[in-house]
Amino acid sequence: MNDTFLISIVTFTYFSAAFVFLISIVFNKKSVDKWALIITVAGLILQTSAIIMRWIHSYQLGIGHAPLSNFYESLVFFSWSIIFVYLIIRKRYRDNLFGVLSAFFAFLILAYASLSSNVNCTIQPLIPALQSNWLISHVISSFLAYACFTIAFGTSILYLLKIKMKMSMLPDALFLDEVTYKMVSIGFVLLTLGIITGAAWADRAWGRYWGWDPKETWSLITWLIYGAFLHTHLARGWRGVKLSLVSIIGFIAVIFTYLGVNYVLSGLHSYL
Amino acid sequence: MIKKLHKLFSSVKLTIFLFLFLAVTSIIGTIIQQGLPMERYKSLYSPGVFSALKFFNIFDMYHSWWFTTLLTLLSINIIVCTFKQVPRIIRLISPEKKEIDDTVFKSSQIRKTFQSQKKLSDIERHAEIIIKSLVGTPVKTVKNDTIYFLAERGRYSRLGMIFVHISILLILAGGLIGTILGFHGQMNIVEGEKSDTVTLFGGEGAKKLDFDVRCDDFTVEFHETGMPKEYKTDLTIMNDGKKVVSGTIRVNHPLIYKGLKFCQATYGIAGVSDLLIGAKNNKTGEKTALNPNIMKKVPLPGSNASFAIARFVTDQDGMGPAVLGVLLEPGKAQHDIFWIFQNGHNINQQQKSGFTFTLDSFSRLYYTGIQVSKDPGVPLVWIGFCLIMMGFILSLFFTHKRIWMKISGSQDKYEISIAASVSKNRKSFEEQLAGLTREAAVEQTK
Repeated sequence: MNDTFLISIVTFTYFSAAFVFLISIVFNKKSVDKWALIITVAGLILQTSAIIMRWIHSYQLGIGHAPLSNFYESLVFFSWSIIFVYLIIRKRYRDNLFGVLSAFFAFLILAYASLSSNVNCTIQPLIPALQSNWLISHVISSFLAYACFTIAFGTSILYLLKIKMKMSMLPDALFLDEVTYKMVSIGFVLLTLGIITGAAWADRAWGRYWGWDPKETWSLITWLIYGAFLHTHLARGWRGVKLSLVSIIGFIAVIFTYLGVNYVLSGLHSYL
Repeated sequence: MIKKLHKLFSSVKLTIFLFLFLAVTSIIGTIIQQGLPMERYKSLYSPGVFSALKFFNIFDMYHSWWFTTLLTLLSINIIVCTFKQVPRIIRLISPEKKEIDDTVFKSSQIRKTFQSQKKLSDIERHAEIIIKSLVGTPVKTVKNDTIYFLAERGRYSRLGMIFVHISILLILAGGLIGTILGFHGQMNIVEGEKSDTVTLFGGEGAKKLDFDVRCDDFTVEFHETGMPKEYKTDLTIMNDGKKVVSGTIRVNHPLIYKGLKFCQATYGIAGVSDLLIGAKNNKTGEKTALNPNIMKKVPLPGSNASFAIARFVTDQDGMGPAVLGVLLEPGKAQHDIFWIFQNGHNINQQQKSGFTFTLDSFSRLYYTGIQVSKDPGVPLVWIGFCLIMMGFILSLFFTHKRIWMKISGSQDKYEISIAASVSKNRKSFEEQLAGLTREAAVEQTK
């Protein structure tokens, strides 16, 4: 069996998970809730196996490397990170709406990875610049950060819907606000780690830890926006709508750091 | 005036403004390519736009006067704000006095008072259970028939924020030192040759090293797709013609000498060596091997002409590697210039003056592209990176929790007061406390 085929099953699994989570909210049934979780966990296990399979397969091809090195692999890992972060925070924030949100985002990303013609899913050899021990830690911390910011983006949107559209089925506004803040603060720490590991890597590859390359600069822009977010919250006491807007702007910067730099601008990261 | 300045720099509003302003202006440099030669910009923009952009140093904006000013303002802002916090943090992390000040029961963030008619020993036991599960093992003191319990945990997590802010200052200072005292550039050295000149990035001229760098050997391996798999250079550092250090550099595996870092960055083809051109006499069928060098003519045996090559290309019109041959015949005003390919290709055009020329063998002469850098600010930046992560871990995974409990009154009616303060997650702490006191109360009424 092929890992990309497994990923298409995972795509469908996450879609089902989002759907079952939604049913459990609409009909308020505890038993359905359990099934949604089982489907999500099954999806994650399947996806993890697909990633490991691809890893092994790359070694069989004689170009062995961790499957974190091209656009397709990064999309797969991005969706994996979202579900992973969701399962960790689930214990604390027991609301199935986060399940809908996470599973749906993970589904969208995988669907794009499988269906878009922009995305090449073959296993490619690694260019020399990417052959580094820093690759794994850099990619993992960056994408876990992206996953946290994605969930924070989701809760910010829900917050605005709750406040502006008065949607009663949504969770308490204060609760949404708290989750946004928590996800941003964890994401911020992971993003910092991602930037640091990237800097250490750049220092080994090009002899400078920072070179104002577009990707580097955009990661700094993202860092500054979320840094401002934390300061408005902690020191100025910003809450609610204003804070949600900052979180949404931050997420736009995340997307630009991830995609825009490769599609719109050019730079050293252009291989991804 | 000083008061006003102090007020400005101690405000978090300034921090937020600077963060967002830096974020927005940083976008410019990702749209307008940085560090190109000035002529390029001149041709891209109209004179008016060009001089405006040049005034704001947009072509190297991250090192411009105004960007540096913004970073300086941010540094002052961080210093003032952090110093303002220092006395409070010192007070918070210095060991708690054993004497309990009754005011905490009126001033703390979290307060709770209730009455109990249980036996004193039971109340004490419950108090200890509550404190232990919320904060840690309590210390008991008795003063004027009143029993006090207190416990504290995670005091040093208060240092987290200070660490993060100091680390930002260290990183900025490291960056400044690097900009002033360091340099970054590239040297391209052909195999077998040496150089002591680094071409600096950003059009800042060249830097002469006080030693030579010799490229002893360069090798590159390719994947089947034609993509480079690995390339490496054997380097020797030479001082006055004497070998000092030798080493091999690969991408991601630099060589460090005298605080200078030599990183394998690129490579390219500088030319060709060991050229062997076959010249077959069409009449006799005799084949001679010519070993010409670029721009040096060799006699063509069996004729009065001579032959030279003008240059080598790795690919001519998609037909592979070729050399541009020149045939010089006495009495002919114009030289015959023609491409010579490897066996077979375009053979007709390679027949000149009764000879057929072929490119029999050659080896590519590579040059290695080495990025050379010196940055004395790096250690400071690494310390900053470690400190910022330590700071985050302290403030993310640890919480400063304090709890005080007072049991006063006499038999039949005791009054229990609880005061607590936490550095974060106050809501969940309050919920836990409410749960525990409720449990205790239920157990007491049983």
